[in-house]
Amino acid sequence: MHHNPISVANLSYTYPDGTPALRGVDVQIKANERVALVGANGSGKSTLLQHFNGILLPQEGTIVVGEYAMEPQNLSNIRNFVGLVFQNPDDQLFMPTVMEDIAFGPMNQGLQGEELSRRCHSSMYAVGLDPHHFGDRNANNLSGGEKKRVAIAGVLAMQPQILVFDEPSAQLDPRSRRQLIHLMQGLPMTQLIATHDLDLALELCSRTLILSEGELVYDGPTEAIFYDEAFLQSHSLETPLSFSRPYCQLSDVPKKEVAIGNDSYIGVV
Amino acid sequence: MVLLHGGAFSLAVDSQRSTLWQGLTPQARILCVIVMVMAIALTPNGHWLTWGIYSIGILSTVLVSQVTLSVLVQRLAVELSFVSTILLGTLFREGGDILWQWGIVSITTTGLTVLGSVTLKALLSLLLLNVLTLTTPVPALLHGLKRLKTPTILVAILASMYRYLSVLIEEFNAMRRAALSRNLMTGKRWQRLVVGNMIGSLFIRTYERGERVHQAMLSRGYQGLPLFQEGSKNKGYDTIVVTLTGLFAITGQIAYWLT
Repeated sequence: MHHNPISVANLSYTYPDGTPALRGVDVQIKANERVALVGANGSGKSTLLQHFNGILLPQEGTIVVGEYAMEPQNLSNIRNFVGLVFQNPDDQLFMPTVMEDIAFGPMNQGLQGEELSRRCHSSMYAVGLDPHHFGDRNANNLSGGEKKRVAIAGVLAMQPQILVFDEPSAQLDPRSRRQLIHLMQGLPMTQLIATHDLDLALELCSRTLILSEGELVYDGPTEAIFYDEAFLQSHSLETPLSFSRPYCQLSDVPKKEVAIGNDSYIGVV
Repeated sequence: MVLLHGGAFSLAVDSQRSTLWQGLTPQARILCVIVMVMAIALTPNGHWLTWGIYSIGILSTVLVSQVTLSVLVQRLAVELSFVSTILLGTLFREGGDILWQWGIVSITTTGLTVLGSVTLKALLSLLLLNVLTLTTPVPALLHGLKRLKTPTILVAILASMYRYLSVLIEEFNAMRRAALSRNLMTGKRWQRLVVGNMIGSLFIRTYERGERVHQAMLSRGYQGLPLFQEGSKNKGYDTIVVTLTGLFAITGQIAYWLT
């Protein structure tokens, strides 16, 4: 296991139309860390994520993933090392059946036959999908939560050491979101999670990076920064929703029965 | 509008039956169909006996494969309505005896022969192709094509089309709903304009989605050549049936020349 899987130094990126997306980002991510990447729309989160997997190459600065510098000749190794789960599963699931889609990554690694089938089955079990039930189904007929799981299984099947998620809880209902959080908690690899869901970040990640207009403005413990309302607001963010509720568990709420008409209500007074 | 409901269609409704036809591997089924369609299409006009013999074989295949006849007839009806627009032109071909004339428009014996021949060719070929698609799911067809050494990139394009057709239909329907919800479909002319704009924006969205799909493929180690899992291997039974199909096609041709 590498002790410093991702090292980003002075990374800058400008889009072809001249819009600067990243400006001098410096980040070190250690093995087995779970790090949240937070920022308003257009802050450069997705651009940064795409650099970790070599979809975008650095225009300025350097990235070292594991022992590989981010250079065209290392891309194949880097893509086996870093698994990227896209925001919209429909972009990622393009093969006619679920099993074929999950097999896509391992086949590009050269796996075939029994070994390929074993790898696909184990990654489907890892995300809680039964290969016999889902294997031959068309990805289009799955629910949003199931699609997301298939997308994660497709990346897990490549056995990466680092998982990078782009908005993992977007478009998921509360139950699918909760299942996803449990799934991510159970995955042993290093995880980098770009999200607007600050409650998810709070629950999963001990460390948070905040991007604002392409600059890294915070790198430190999650809880400490999520209490700093003024700082968050200055970077177009808000405190997690769970902070705005005084009591997260109903059992903590001081109860007083209030009678209105014939019905009884539990109210906080 | 039929196309817009494509996502809801289940193409291979009879794929789960266990018959002599479904016992063939997908590649053998494709090969049998290609051999027969080629034989039908390359038979010169007016060779009724050959097509008569082929019809017996094709109808037997329809019966053996136990396809749902109502679905087969519905699909044939839709397909033939498209084909008929092309067929109509062959009726007014010049040559032979004139049977009916009105100004410069005339129906001749040659025209009728060509019309009958082409109609029969289209009908028989469509029957076979429908049996194939009714009994073989699209992923199995793609594997079959791959095993028949169809260029990988072509199979990959077909696979993407199959996967994304319904996604695009959903996007188009979402746009249509958005337009309807803002009362934009009131006038006919306005409606045409809006649908035109939708198709334009669908083109751009398709392009953008293509970019994102390609990025997702790259991130999973794609290096420019799609790979497919090994499909079902050829069996002895396949070889026998494909050979018999070939012999049957030749028999049809010989029968015409002997009479």
